[in-house]
Amino acid sequence: MNTQPSRVLSPELWEQFRQGSRIACARLVSLLENRPDLHPEIRHRLFPLQRGAVRIGITGPPGVGKSTVTSALTRQARVAGHTLAVIAVDPTSPFSGGAFLGDRIRMQDHIGDPGVFIRSLASRDGHGGLSPATPYAAEVFDAFGMDWILIETVGVGQAELDVLNCVDIVILVLQPGTGDIIQALKAGIMEAGDIFLINKADQPGVDMVLDSLRFIFQMDAHRPGYVPPPLLTAAAHTGTGMSEVFETVEQVIAKFRREGRLREKRRQRLEQDIREYIQQELWHRYLQLTDAQPEITRVARELTDSGRSPFPYIEQLKSRIRMERNHDQES
Amino acid sequence: MSGKKIKVVLAKPGLDGHDRGVKVIARSLVEHGMEVVYLGLQQTPEAIVNAAIEEDADVIGLSVLSGSHMTQFKRVRELMLEHGIGDRLLTGGGIIPDKDRDRLVELGIGRLFGPGADIDEIANYIKEWAESRSAGTAET
Repeated sequence: MNTQPSRVLSPELWEQFRQGSRIACARLVSLLENRPDLHPEIRHRLFPLQRGAVRIGITGPPGVGKSTVTSALTRQARVAGHTLAVIAVDPTSPFSGGAFLGDRIRMQDHIGDPGVFIRSLASRDGHGGLSPATPYAAEVFDAFGMDWILIETVGVGQAELDVLNCVDIVILVLQPGTGDIIQALKAGIMEAGDIFLINKADQPGVDMVLDSLRFIFQMDAHRPGYVPPPLLTAAAHTGTGMSEVFETVEQVIAKFRREGRLREKRRQRLEQDIREYIQQELWHRYLQLTDAQPEITRVARELTDSGRSPFPYIEQLKSRIRMERNHDQES
Repeated sequence: MSGKKIKVVLAKPGLDGHDRGVKVIARSLVEHGMEVVYLGLQQTPEAIVNAAIEEDADVIGLSVLSGSHMTQFKRVRELMLEHGIGDRLLTGGGIIPDKDRDRLVELGIGRLFGPGADIDEIANYIKEWAESRSAGTAET
């Protein structure tokens, strides 16, 4: 680590965090949300404290009851003795930059339970159904000692699949009357579900959704070794069917662990992590070398009015970077 | 859109079902670029302070139209101090007589707004408080 320890990250903060202070835990999450410059230092120190909590993504279209399912699943997991963190993501307004975070309204059963920590995150710059800080918040809660981390995405449509990159298991929540939505979802998020859950199963139309899903699974049946994902129904607001959901989650975790998939997911996350930091670093270096940002802004402005293509400029820029690099190597 | 945003926990404590006002406030604070965690109706002071801790909220806003403002604001303030988040702003509004308002302010509670208060004024009050706080600590 070549970074100077930051003043914001006092030894007291870390000491309090290790001793189980919820204020310190919440603070670290905020710092990861607000201070990208502190990411390396914080995350480096969190790594040895992590114990491999299972990360469970809960995703699906808006209004299907993701928060209610999350809350009901939390209740089941608590009965079984697991401790949990819930990360609930709601969208940031692209106009004001503000966000209305309403998921806690559906999670009031767990107030005062020290085994549950609920944190709402605004999606901010994230466009894939999560906040960019989500995987880092999960690291904080893992290091804080939670067994399970439930990550509830914003209501998703077709391509908001960031959750895939930061969890071990995905529960895709759907509801009756969404047969057409399933058609629309087929290409994107339908492939993401490790467990399919039809919530609001006390409402009419459940069979139709089940039929559509079975039909989709059947299309994959010819693939060697294909096993269709578990398909469950529940009414999370009354708790009906939720103990089956919990048991299925436990079974899938056990299976993924046995098959080495949890380990593989962790490896993939680390690989992605390293790649992203290198990309960032290179971009940063490049900006320093050429002072490109103001130049790009200026060129874009000129091109906007001229109707010319940007590619000659891009080529010129590339050769300049090559020259800078050669110059670097010589000196 | 990265960087520090003001985070506000908004709630209605006690047995008070009038939530139109607090929803209007929530909406307008979002329009002012804040991140608003809305807890809804019938919250206990314990639940509100617990949420503020977990959310690392800068501000707690209470809406009380039931006449129980003295009890509710006082209790939330006590719990904030007890749990070590006395450095956050407790503010709010409702039907609160001037003399009660003065007594609550003496207890370390921020400005309280009544019917007809200007929404932008509330947002600006919170923003100014947050600015003076971060100037004091030079933190996030």
